[in-house]
Amino acid sequence: MSSFDDISQMFHSEYDKLVNLINSASTQSDLSLHDIVETYYQIMNMSSMITMLKQQLGSNDHKSLFGKIIESEKLISEKFNHTIHPQILQNLEKSIQETTKNLQSNSSEQKSKEEIESDAKLYEELRKKMSTKEFVEQYGKGLSDD
Amino acid sequence: MIEDLAKNLIHLKKNFVNTYDGKSQIQEVIPLSTSDSFPIPQQNLDLLHQFATMNPIYYNSFEETVGDTICIVYEGDINKYWLSSIQYGTSYAPFSPTWIMSAYVAVLLAKEIGFREIIDIGSGDGRIAFCAKILNLESYSIEIDDMLVKLQNQLTTPLNFHPYCSDATTFDYSSLNLSNPVFFIGGLAQMGGIELASGVFEKIKSIPNLKNIGWVLAGTYSQKYPTDPKNEAGWGTLIDKNNLKSIQTISLPTAWTFHESEETPYIFTQSFD
Repeated sequence: MSSFDDISQMFHSEYDKLVNLINSASTQSDLSLHDIVETYYQIMNMSSMITMLKQQLGSNDHKSLFGKIIESEKLISEKFNHTIHPQILQNLEKSIQETTKNLQSNSSEQKSKEEIESDAKLYEELRKKMSTKEFVEQYGKGLSDD
Repeated sequence: MIEDLAKNLIHLKKNFVNTYDGKSQIQEVIPLSTSDSFPIPQQNLDLLHQFATMNPIYYNSFEETVGDTICIVYEGDINKYWLSSIQYGTSYAPFSPTWIMSAYVAVLLAKEIGFREIIDIGSGDGRIAFCAKILNLESYSIEIDDMLVKLQNQLTTPLNFHPYCSDATTFDYSSLNLSNPVFFIGGLAQMGGIELASGVFEKIKSIPNLKNIGWVLAGTYSQKYPTDPKNEAGWGTLIDKNNLKSIQTISLPTAWTFHESEETPYIFTQSFD
């Protein structure tokens, strides 16, 4: 297989992964933090590949691959950036607010050692959500800088 | 002697980490009695235990022999204070305490250098200011989070370490009539410490005739944080910019280095303007 075939095959395979992740993200309102991070990494991975390949390929060369690149760009920009990304951010904000409210509402109660250590897991989850939200916001800032 | 005390405390911490199997968010040990490794007057040790026992962040304690030192282990949780502190736009770093023993050793060094007043900036539960009072220094505790200041007010008996609920970058330090102060800056350089320290520097500069001021900066060598081009555990650029002279650095255990191999370097500096 030629080097171009390798690249083309890899791009198609990464595109399929992206489509699956975007489909999951658009149908599930309660994506896990792991899935959110995985989706954004795949978006960033594909965006880098697109930039690199567009510099190397002319629109008249390798029409099939070029077409896939354009399709991927459209998927990222129209479906992900404009619809899914704001939705993920909104869901994270809502989830953080709810968890914060729950933790605040029972923080003044007298608790046993076991209850305190069990609550600590919820706080850890809240920290992870906040950290994921920061990561997602950074992606959004990158879009507004473009 | 103070360097040996710090080394023995690190050794104690490392032994404790190897044996501790609890699930608490934070944990620390205080030797029960004075010993060759911890030649601290018994009445001072008793006051450190009293601070921990009265402190609501600790929900459990038990006796344990760590290495060859009989200690009390204190298990605590600071989550609700973290939740409160992150809601302040001007709060620079979420509350995470140094060890009580570390606070004592750091203040002991400040006293040996010759400072007579301790101002704990971003003081959390006020443990550094409390230790200063144990060592017969005057102390003031500045904390922006009212929930933490309420906690401090529960701990001011028997030693009043003067808690103030205020933004340290706007506090009127001239009201304290300071003469030979050292400021402990809470928070790592990379966690808002630079902004906090810079704000306090500006306020202090406006006080006439206040010279030879000490600054104690909590640093980190952790690769989790960006390094400073002038080193000093994250504080090099600020030290240089403000014409501070490094006097001594002492490493001590803190809540945030419990699972780390390196302890927190406390950088003692002084301005000679």
